Amino acid sequence: MLVQLHGKKGTIDACHEYIVNKEVLVVAERSIHSLPAHTLTVCAREPIHVPGSIQPHGFLLALDESGLVIMQASRNVRDYLEVELSDLLGQCLDDLLPDMDLAQRLNELAEEDHNPYYLGDTRFQVNGRSHMFAMFAHRFDGVLIVECESAGTAAMSYTTMYPLIRTFVEQLQHGSSVEALCLLAVREVKRMTTFGRVLAYRFDRDGHGQVIAEEADEGYPCYLGLCFPESDIPAQARRLYLANRIRVIQNAGYTPSLLEPEVSPLTGRPLDLSFAMLRSVSPVHLQYMHNMGTQASMSISIIVDGKLWGLISCHDAEPKAVSFQTRTGCELLGRMLSLQIEAVESHRMTDRRLSLRQMTVQMLAAMADRDSVIEGLLEVPDVFLNFANASGGAIVSSERCDLIGHTPPRSVVEALVVWLSTHAEDSFHTANVSQDVPDLELKNYIAGFLAVPISELHSHYLIWFRQERIQVVNWAGQPTKVVEENGTLNPRQSFATWQETVRGFSPPWNVLEIEGSIELRNAVRGIVLRKAEEIAELAEELKRTNKELEAFSYSVSHDLRAPLRHIAGYAELLNDFEGDKLSDRGTRFLENIGDSARFAGTLVDNLLSFSQMGRAAIRYSDVNLAALVEAIRQEMAPDYAGRKIEWKVGPLPVVIADAAFVHLALRNLISNAIKYTRDREHAIIEIGSEPSDKEDIFYIRDNGVGFNMEYVGKLFGVFQRLHHVEEFDGIGIGLASVRRIIERHDGRVWAEGEPGKGAIFHFALPKQRPLSTQKR
Amino acid sequence: MLKPILLIEDNPHDLELTLVALERSQLANEVIVVRDGAEALDYLHRRGAYASRAEGNPAVMLLDLKLPKVDGLEVLKNVRESLSLRSVPVVMLTSSREEPDLERAYELGVNAYVVKPVEFRDFVSAISDLGIFWAVLNEPPPGSFRLTRRPAN
Repeated sequence: MLVQLHGKKGTIDACHEYIVNKEVLVVAERSIHSLPAHTLTVCAREPIHVPGSIQPHGFLLALDESGLVIMQASRNVRDYLEVELSDLLGQCLDDLLPDMDLAQRLNELAEEDHNPYYLGDTRFQVNGRSHMFAMFAHRFDGVLIVECESAGTAAMSYTTMYPLIRTFVEQLQHGSSVEALCLLAVREVKRMTTFGRVLAYRFDRDGHGQVIAEEADEGYPCYLGLCFPESDIPAQARRLYLANRIRVIQNAGYTPSLLEPEVSPLTGRPLDLSFAMLRSVSPVHLQYMHNMGTQASMSISIIVDGKLWGLISCHDAEPKAVSFQTRTGCELLGRMLSLQIEAVESHRMTDRRLSLRQMTVQMLAAMADRDSVIEGLLEVPDVFLNFANASGGAIVSSERCDLIGHTPPRSVVEALVVWLSTHAEDSFHTANVSQDVPDLELKNYIAGFLAVPISELHSHYLIWFRQERIQVVNWAGQPTKVVEENGTLNPRQSFATWQETVRGFSPPWNVLEIEGSIELRNAVRGIVLRKAEEIAELAEELKRTNKELEAFSYSVSHDLRAPLRHIAGYAELLNDFEGDKLSDRGTRFLENIGDSARFAGTLVDNLLSFSQMGRAAIRYSDVNLAALVEAIRQEMAPDYAGRKIEWKVGPLPVVIADAAFVHLALRNLISNAIKYTRDREHAIIEIGSEPSDKEDIFYIRDNGVGFNMEYVGKLFGVFQRLHHVEEFDGIGIGLASVRRIIERHDGRVWAEGEPGKGAIFHFALPKQRPLSTQKR
Repeated sequence: MLKPILLIEDNPHDLELTLVALERSQLANEVIVVRDGAEALDYLHRRGAYASRAEGNPAVMLLDLKLPKVDGLEVLKNVRESLSLRSVPVVMLTSSREEPDLERAYELGVNAYVVKPVEFRDFVSAISDLGIFWAVLNEPPPGSFRLTRRPAN
């Protein structure tokens, strides 16, 4: 299946090097993500740095530096020096250079720099004939490599180059975006080289290159915005571009000139041409250029943070010589551009990092303010979302799941949390949920999420969601490769725009956002930890206080009760023994003494049993409330004998609770209802339940004296009474006991009333035993 | 001759009131009063000041839980561990039913306990019942019966 040759005069990007590969591979996938996996990385094995030949616009000599002896040479020396190659091998190069002390000049080469060093235009004296060449030398892999090109242009050198560069540097400083910087560089390179088209592109994280700046002559189609697949430049080519920042192919139709001998006698290996200016390129790459009608190309690496960030790429429809000075200028320009991009990007990173920090501080402040991670974050929902450039968020703890903005429904988020707790060790992020988390129905709502666990023990998460961003990618030609019948690889023949719509992806999560989320998590954990410590401290303190209180209760029981007993006992004995001698008043006083002592005794007894209620363990079992209410009615029957009470008892469920405690609570409530309807001719006491999702709610309603809602806050307090003791007896501990009992069950109590109309008391018991009590 | 009732009580008021209660129950038994646990053990084991007392165990011991020197539980333990004493019925007198030591008293084999009620009349009736039960109805098999009497509400 061959792609039709596009009619346009296509000249583009001739720097990419292809590798011959015998393995058959056809890319058919259309998804952006399938590309890197399916491209011809398997063929990225050919050692392009040892092609065994050079481009013929110059010649190459490989020397043993110790004696400056020529060990290898390109076959085309014949064309340049009019000498047989076999005659040259073994000769000392210095002997051929009458005007130069080569050994002396070589001292100028920096030890670590492998880039060719210009030794000047040099006269060769061979077989009595003189030849002038621009001569370059570099050391690599233990070999001194000397390359020569036609001489003559070197003289203009730095005098003309310097002003160009100076202007460029000034302009660079004003470029604010990387696109603007690249455009400046592209224009400058085009001016210096006069290539028909110059463009700059940057690589994305998958290695695809997108054209972000372009300058082209008339007749060259516009490629601005187009993408070049990662496979256009195999991995080892990228590695080479990192080390050697500029490459030129002056004429794609060249016939390579082979090196002889093939294997370097110095190293025992083929000569390594990684840094050689004349290095020959892969035949597939030449085919690639040919398919586009490109005859000359040059590329300059843009290296940011030690990585191949992008390329400046030049091409021309005609063969083109690029002088050494121009190349040097372009390389320098590339280096300056790289530095400036690095500065802009690092500035941008710093800005973003700073803003993340600020948002982290805002969130932490809110958490500290509300003394709660969840409440704090909910206080600043916009900050929470902006923090990760998210459209929605979730704060998930074991008790609750709070959603902010655009999120999947709660049930799906909860399922996601379960998935996270089993599939993700730590934080997790994806920009494509249908690919990475296909089991959950996430893709109907969002495309990407970032989740960080904020507890080491529980499934507590902060989650940010991003929605799908439909992306249209304009490829420079359909990214398809064709393998010929003979097994050789043929790069695509058309580079016309081929549009692909990519769906299912959210904007990717960048490293700063991920790092930021982890920093936020650590800070939150710090808060939680500190809080846990505080709580533990409080619990310890509470335990101690409770112990003291218990000891106090005990001593009250023993020590306070005894004197009360004695007062009552002696008062009675006094009455028994001396009663007839007392006046009526005296007898009444004595009775009051006894009554008061007994009342005080009852107070003490009740207080003790109340405190006991707080300490005793809750023993859970099934409690049939209907049966319980019936039993209490029977038990209390003597208290309302002779009265007319209409009982309306609705159906009551079975609850899981401590039977003895619930019995006591119900008895207190029913006894109150009986007591406070005492003056009603027709008393009605209604007992029933209301269903609810999470709890069983009960109520006891009476038409008694009721109470003023103003005092509802005092109703459940210890020794709080809303009636005079002459009206209704009691010591004011019944409702306090009810509250303590219900709260011990993690339930709630509340009441409503109206003076003269009656009261209704509610209590609610959780349907599920809360975790905290299961441990008990 | 009836066996005596041994009353072990440190508080003079409680002592007096208990004695009045016993008096009102019209028991014929002699009441022997000791004021702390150590003295009780001396009496029971016929040693110290009681070395020369006549042989024989009390019909019932009314033992206060909280006592100076040797407390009620220790006395009870000693009694239950002693071959000659372990069949003596022991009624524990306590100040409140919330006493955490009550459970322990049961473990040690107390026969009954009385929460000293604030209401004197109740106290008299409780003491009378107990006295009659334990002192008059002779000796039941030890530890076979437990009577608990709570104060009337």
